[in-house]
Amino acid sequence: MSGTESIVFDSPRREWRADTFAMWVFVGSEAMLFGAIFLVFLFAHIDFGPAFASASKHLSLPLGTFNTAVLITSSFTMALAHMFALHKRWRPAVWSLLATSSLGVCFLVVKGIEYGKEIDEGLAPLLGLPFRYAGPDPVHAEFFFSLYFTMTCLHALHLVGGILAIAGLLAFWPKARPGNRQRRVVAVGLYWHFVDIVWVFMFPVLYLINR
Amino acid sequence: MTSAMMPSTYLAEGSSPGAWLLTTDHKRVAWLYLVSLTAFFFLGGAMAVLMRVELATPAGDLVADDIYNRLFSLHGIIMVWFFLVPSIPATLGNFLLPLMIGARDLAFPRLNLASWYVFIFGSLFALFSVVAGGVDTGWTFYTPLSTLYANGFVSTAALGVFIVGFSTIMTGINFIVTVHTLRAPGLTWFRLPIFVWTLYATSLVMVLATPVLAASLILIVLERVFGIGIFNPDLGGDPLLFQHLFWFYSHPAVYIMILPGMGVVSEVLPCFSRRPLFGYKAVALSSMAIAVFGFLVWGHHMFVSGQSAYGSVIFSFLSFCVAIPSAIKVFNWSLTLRKGEISFETSMLYALFFLGLFTFGGLAGLFLAALAVDVHLHDTYFVIAHFHYIMVGGMVTAYMAGLHFWWPKLTGRMYSETAGRIAATVTFVGFNLTFFPQYMLGFDGMPRRYHTYPPEFQFWHVLSSAGAVVLAIGYLMPLFYLGSSLFRGARAPDNPWNATGLEWQTSSPPPPHNFETIPVVTRPAYAYDMKGLEHERFSPHRPAPP
Amino acid sequence: MSELQKLVFGYVGLLALLALTVGSSFLDLGGFNVALNLTIAAAKTVLIALLFMHLTGTLPRLAVAAAGLWLVILFGLTVIGR
Ligand code: HEM
Ligand SMILES: [Cu+2]
Repeated sequence: MSGTESIVFDSPRREWRADTFAMWVFVGSEAMLFGAIFLVFLFAHIDFGPAFASASKHLSLPLGTFNTAVLITSSFTMALAHMFALHKRWRPAVWSLLATSSLGVCFLVVKGIEYGKEIDEGLAPLLGLPFRYAGPDPVHAEFFFSLYFTMTCLHALHLVGGILAIAGLLAFWPKARPGNRQRRVVAVGLYWHFVDIVWVFMFPVLYLINR
Repeated sequence: MTSAMMPSTYLAEGSSPGAWLLTTDHKRVAWLYLVSLTAFFFLGGAMAVLMRVELATPAGDLVADDIYNRLFSLHGIIMVWFFLVPSIPATLGNFLLPLMIGARDLAFPRLNLASWYVFIFGSLFALFSVVAGGVDTGWTFYTPLSTLYANGFVSTAALGVFIVGFSTIMTGINFIVTVHTLRAPGLTWFRLPIFVWTLYATSLVMVLATPVLAASLILIVLERVFGIGIFNPDLGGDPLLFQHLFWFYSHPAVYIMILPGMGVVSEVLPCFSRRPLFGYKAVALSSMAIAVFGFLVWGHHMFVSGQSAYGSVIFSFLSFCVAIPSAIKVFNWSLTLRKGEISFETSMLYALFFLGLFTFGGLAGLFLAALAVDVHLHDTYFVIAHFHYIMVGGMVTAYMAGLHFWWPKLTGRMYSETAGRIAATVTFVGFNLTFFPQYMLGFDGMPRRYHTYPPEFQFWHVLSSAGAVVLAIGYLMPLFYLGSSLFRGARAPDNPWNATGLEWQTSSPPPPHNFETIPVVTRPAYAYDMKGLEHERFSPHRPAPP
Repeated sequence: MSELQKLVFGYVGLLALLALTVGSSFLDLGGFNVALNLTIAAAKTVLIALLFMHLTGTLPRLAVAAAGLWLVILFGLTVIGR
């Protein structure tokens, strides 16, 4: 028995290589998805810079900064899980995974609080909610908030996907062979870090630029 | 497991629905796709026939304008995303890629099956839009028509295309990783069959372009459902941005829809002229060039859209350049035939027809790429003729060539050559009769997407409609003789065409995991000039080196 | 355990860059705020990719390079065309 998961590969090393490569290709593909969304934002920003700048001031910088730190920390714990798994130190690996997904949940909760505040202030032009905005150029401020909700929701959906992936990973953890555990941690990790990178760009673009 | 216990062919592995629907064998997944895509092809084809019947007379007597809009929209959506994009990659590619590179399966067999389920799931959305009342935006979903004015089931259709996009991306990732990591020992990049090169190039486009389409479609759905206004000028949005995103995907996607066909004819032409492919490296690398440079020309769909004139000039220039790698291929195929011992089997006929039709369509592309000429020809039947010559005359013809070429491998049966040759010829005649008049119509100024027209256009329209009937017969014929070959066809030998290529070294049909021992490759592809050697390209009994 | 050190270094570096980017937004640098913020985001990406994602080996690099090139095409030609 060569220890590969599928009959296709003749050595675990090759299988491993194929797995990580596939994840990187997938990440590249996802990068194009977010790239297109950022492109839309870029043009809107070029067209309506001043309106966007003043609208952006209505987002909560403290909560956004806090959330960025949370995601960075979750990436760190994910990297720890990767390290522990490679050393076959399963207990700390599981704890790191649990920490990662909890931090992911924490991010979502904080984001939910932010959304709640924005809805209260009448800044969410969604689902027929009233849009009340006192600053200059309310039409384009509304456009900013549409983009803000689209982008952050898309990111949040990806984060939910990551949390579910970790949950699935842990559900199958007891029965999985060591090699498979490692491969799955690496694969989910790559995805998680990518979702973090997306936020690393979204945060300055939405919260900071031209404050 | 001893070999005595293994079923001898992948078809003997079980015939219960479960054995098919839960299979992870790439050869069976290929069949799942083949059956579903055939259904879509004829569904889309039926809509085309209805349109052609309507256009036989200048008045709108068969269908109302509204229905006509829905017909051409769904025809385009189905043909592009539910047939042509997956056509060769998901059927022949799925079946042959592992066989051609000496692998037991694709790198991720379960992902492969999953991609089919995602495809079916997405197609349910599209079929729902058909049944529920249709879509009238055209396959291009242009904003603000699709977001503000269209009252059909745009969101479900867009979601269907969006979901099918994931299945495309899954296939793309699977192919890319397979080609990189599962080539048999000795099978270097420049020994790969061109079909593998083109599948690789296609996958690259699939993986990098499809997400941008996904983004633009999801924005349309969000705009329709939540009114977020990204493409709505009243709210600050930019409708033209949609066209940029759409064509960033869709021009490269036309190469998704032609590259695999180029791969197929690169296999067929050398085989039936008993000559190695001329200029192998140029053909291989031009496939990659097409994949890359195909991303630089999308603006030629937007010459009259109001994009910057400066941009249009650049896009026009780049469009001329992108024809170069295609031309390289055409020259190499033609030179392959030179001094060859040509025989006209069915698949060879299809491949030769491909050569002519693709070249003709490509040249028309150059007319359109010329900025000033396009102002006249844009949105006329000239464009329709251009892309049908390439997508139908090129890709679908290549698909038929491949289907006939590898049918013995797929099924273990031979079909009637006579019937095949007749069908190929009928298709060729019907095709030209249908689409050549459309060049004339477009040149004379007949716009696309109308169900009525001034009487002076009727002559060409009648010819075109008559051609459509002939073409339909040409496409229906294989259904019968290929179908009956499954039951009555002679048993196929392992290598009926005496072709090179690892897939021909397996039995017909191949065993479940393709190769008991992984072959060792010692020769370049298309070694048709090495007399008597083609059968020794690898020895099935020699074990792979450790 | 130098592996752990590397990860901690990355983590601390990321937090420092976060502080920097937020801090810079309170200064008025004219047009440079945008450039600075994006540069910092790129730097963070490099840290994550190299230290957390272990971006090594030809194949992963190939994938990243391809995605990078295609993003340049997408942004570049759209800007030209608009
Ligand atoms: C030889 C290189 C090619 C050139 C220079 C070229 C050029 C063009 C141009 C300039 C247009 C826009 C015409 C207009 O809308 O006014 C066009 C449309 C089109 N081309 Fe090509 N083309 C080439 C190859 C192909 C290939 C290989 C395919 C498909 C496999 C293809 C499919 C299409 C389609 C589908 C459209 C029309 C889309 C629509 O508006 O619905 N083209 N082509
Ligand atoms: Cu094009």
